[in-house]
Amino acid sequence: MNSFQSPFIFFTDAVLRAPTIGCMLMCLTASLVGVIVFLRKQSLLGESLSHAAYPGVVIGVMIAGFFKLSDEDQSLIALLIMVLAFFSSLIGLWSIHWLSRKMKIKTDSALCFILSSFFGIGLTLASQVQFSYSSLYRQIQAYLYGQAATMTDVHIYIYGFFSLLIITVICSFYKEIQVMTFDRDYAKCIGVKIKPIDTLIFILIALAVVIGIRSVGVVLMSAMLIAPPVAARQFTNKLYLVFILSGIFGMISGFLGNYLSVELNTALAIKYPGDRLIIPTGPMIVMVASFICLVSLCFAPQRGWFLRIIRIGRFRYRCISENLLKAILRFCHTNELDGISFEKIEKYQSLSPFRLRYLLFRLCKNGWLEKTESGSYKLTKDGKVRAEKIIRLHRLWEVYLVNYLGIGAERVHRNAEEMEHIITPELEAELTLLLKDPKQDPHHQPIPPREIF
Amino acid sequence: MEKPIFEVHQLTVNYDKTPVLFDISLSVPGGKLVGIIGPNGAGKSTFIKTALGLVKPISGKVEFFSEPLKNVRQRVAYVPQRESVDWDFPITVQDLVLMGRYGKLGLFRFPRAADYVACDHYLEVVGMLQYKERQISQLSGGQQQRVFIARALLQEADIYFMDEPFAGVDIATEKVIMDLLRKLKSQGKTVFVVHHDLNNVENYFDWVIMLNMRLIACGSVSDVFNPATLNDTYGKSFSLFDEALKISLQKSKGIKP
Amino acid sequence: MSEQNPYSGNTFIEFFITMMIRLYAFITGNLSFENLASDEIQMIVLIGVSASSAMVGTFLILRRMTMLANSLSHTILLGIVIAFLFTKDSVLPNEAGYAEPINIQAMMLASLCMGIVTTFLTEFLTKTVRLQEDASTGLVFTTLFALGIILVTLLTRNAHIGTEVVMGNVDALHLDDCKLIFIILLVNTALFFLFFKEFKITTFDSGLSRALGISTVFYNYLLMVQVSLTTIGAFRAVGVLMVLSFITGPALIARFLTDHLGKMLLLSVLIGSLASLLGVAISRHILSVYGIALSTSGIVVSTISGLFIAGVLYKKYQQYRGRQGIAKSLT
Repeated sequence: MNSFQSPFIFFTDAVLRAPTIGCMLMCLTASLVGVIVFLRKQSLLGESLSHAAYPGVVIGVMIAGFFKLSDEDQSLIALLIMVLAFFSSLIGLWSIHWLSRKMKIKTDSALCFILSSFFGIGLTLASQVQFSYSSLYRQIQAYLYGQAATMTDVHIYIYGFFSLLIITVICSFYKEIQVMTFDRDYAKCIGVKIKPIDTLIFILIALAVVIGIRSVGVVLMSAMLIAPPVAARQFTNKLYLVFILSGIFGMISGFLGNYLSVELNTALAIKYPGDRLIIPTGPMIVMVASFICLVSLCFAPQRGWFLRIIRIGRFRYRCISENLLKAILRFCHTNELDGISFEKIEKYQSLSPFRLRYLLFRLCKNGWLEKTESGSYKLTKDGKVRAEKIIRLHRLWEVYLVNYLGIGAERVHRNAEEMEHIITPELEAELTLLLKDPKQDPHHQPIPPREIF
Repeated sequence: MEKPIFEVHQLTVNYDKTPVLFDISLSVPGGKLVGIIGPNGAGKSTFIKTALGLVKPISGKVEFFSEPLKNVRQRVAYVPQRESVDWDFPITVQDLVLMGRYGKLGLFRFPRAADYVACDHYLEVVGMLQYKERQISQLSGGQQQRVFIARALLQEADIYFMDEPFAGVDIATEKVIMDLLRKLKSQGKTVFVVHHDLNNVENYFDWVIMLNMRLIACGSVSDVFNPATLNDTYGKSFSLFDEALKISLQKSKGIKP
Repeated sequence: MSEQNPYSGNTFIEFFITMMIRLYAFITGNLSFENLASDEIQMIVLIGVSASSAMVGTFLILRRMTMLANSLSHTILLGIVIAFLFTKDSVLPNEAGYAEPINIQAMMLASLCMGIVTTFLTEFLTKTVRLQEDASTGLVFTTLFALGIILVTLLTRNAHIGTEVVMGNVDALHLDDCKLIFIILLVNTALFFLFFKEFKITTFDSGLSRALGISTVFYNYLLMVQVSLTTIGAFRAVGVLMVLSFITGPALIARFLTDHLGKMLLLSVLIGSLASLLGVAISRHILSVYGIALSTSGIVVSTISGLFIAGVLYKKYQQYRGRQGIAKSLT
């Protein structure tokens, strides 16, 4: 493959800038509206709406063919298709509502049926266009998986206008959208006009979908309503930041998807000139958006899955090592020995010998244990203090459960085994105060005193 | 009795052809702490949801200060059940409480400095000021309940409806809520609380509404809260009515019972 | 075809007359399998597809798993691509689409694997990464489908594959497809017959089924495997997306007509088959009378929608009559 073009050309070159900016605007609107859809837990609505828009696209092309419009009337054709797709989408939306509300059909079945039926009807009509207005058939193809390459500046103006409209509406109705999505009943109570704003939101969704299908295509449109908001949510807990980040991710996906698509097509044209191969833009944009999303899900600070796994692993390691220290202390105390041999430890633990050795090695390295000349393990002073602290927390918690919550003494041990690793110093201080610094636990075992200094 | 601030006339509510509330009529004077009690499924939550216009009744009407709700919305506040929302929603405690002002602000206006100050004040009243910037899923059950109540307080209404505010909260929160209710009463406000626990009714409330699909009793605790009415509320004497109603509905639909 | 299609020029009614005549000839042994007209092959395949889909669809709508089926119907494309990758030497794609069928076994295996992978990934995102269910489903299938489209266009170097996958190519069907469809139909019928009780109980009362030791999860996966099989069988005829209409439509119509699970299964199969029959006839009619060649599978989907509207009207009429009955009894 030859070297890639500079990205900046994409914004200036007369042929390239329309698709580039167009894709970015479309993905921006979809990802903004997608935040609302995501928070309402209706992410699959986008899927149904985009498929329901398809017959509208076909009818739009049919009308264009009927009035003998040609490739020069790009703006008119695009507008025609958009308007009809929008109405088709709204009809689909209304049908879904009506089916789930009045005919008592479950929402998922309604979504699935409407999407497949409308799409099927659209395909039936498309097969007719294939024969009667074959030059315009390409237009329909473009809307299936998205084909940004043939967009012109006119498209930018049209889509830009609607993008601005959507952003304005979201900003104006921000607090109503926020309260309605979070707590619908409460919103109703404080007098928010639920019905009109719901309708407004649905119109926005249909509009965003219809705007986007030119670049992403009918089949994959729902991805742009899902991936950017999901990615954005992983990074922040503030709603307005979710919107902003989602928009940014959307625009990046739109740009990179288009950029990669163009580069790939150029490279393919060079390699297989006879095949006239064109990879549609939609799948590329979706791949970029999904990639961003998956990276966010795994590695976002705080919520990232991968990081969570690591944190869980670290916590488990801490629990196991603390339990080990506790066990060693108890053993040495009951048997009045200084150290404990490896074999003895192995008998009382359920860990594999390999893991056990590694664990003991790490404990020694960190200064909680030391190995004597005879090969047995001994608690260091620090190790003893730590083990005693764990025992103290365990027994304190047992006192709390028994004396305060009235739980039977025979049942508190299991719970205390978990809590001893979790109780923070602040909680410990509160417990000591509350229980008036007890000296004995419910099993009449002594509670080690608190560290003074 | 002084002029009632809350009146219900022959309210009947259905859920999918089965009655949940049947022919309820009652009135409540102002300045009371009202407990709404009854067994599970008796329609307590449905009752306040219908009063607030969230559920449409088959028949009957509800009046606040002798007017329909839509005229006096700003004077009525609602604290829903905690389970009714998704606590993973990306807002902070402050964002949630500020929602209490959205009704007063109306469309196209955003919370002003005075609203923020009032928000801080009520957060302090419920003891949650230091959690102002926390995301709501990071709160415990009792803390979430307190934040919900602060939101209602911010509305500065005259009537408050609370759906099971004491369910699953810690003792400290229970105390905070109870103190709050008493303070509200001392300011002449009326508070309706759907309550699930019979033990504290006499301590907490001075007026009680006892429901089991039908109205069993409505009056001051000293007058109507006694073993006879409790038996009627929690006992089985209405299962026959239930059965007869079901058969009647089946017959009218032409289904063989 | 060397001989002329006996159905060409037939209108709607004539279609059925011709069909009856040929059916009679078939039964009396005068007509053999090799002489089947393309219309009849289409009909047989479509009926087979509808029957399988209707059975699977009945359980899907009752278990609220239809969007998972939607997910699967998309990700199957990736399975087909992978099958293609592994059996590349035995395949020769050309301008007409898959004139040489991709190795069937490879395709079935790939689709089964994709079914399991899709379900597994969705569950993983929902349960482990704790993403809400609707977003998980959407994310999984769009990503995999996008990947599938890119690979398919690159590998087959045929820009029209994308459309074909979605539309199917009913005119390119021949006898072998019938065999495949009916094997799948047989498998589905057998599975539902054998496991009827288990499917029933896991659909309606998962608590009880768990208590009895019947695993809901297992039957979910089994159902998804059946969806994969059905979709793969259907994809050549109707394309991956329209098969969803076959799955949900007849089952929903049957739901309007009855409350009983067994009856619902039977009715949905009948309605689906009826729609296929009518669809092929209508398609032929339009071709003969108006000279327009519409996509037959699209017409069947439109017929299903038409029957659905009829079902809705019937239901509404029933409700109206019910209300009239009450009004009458009160006067």
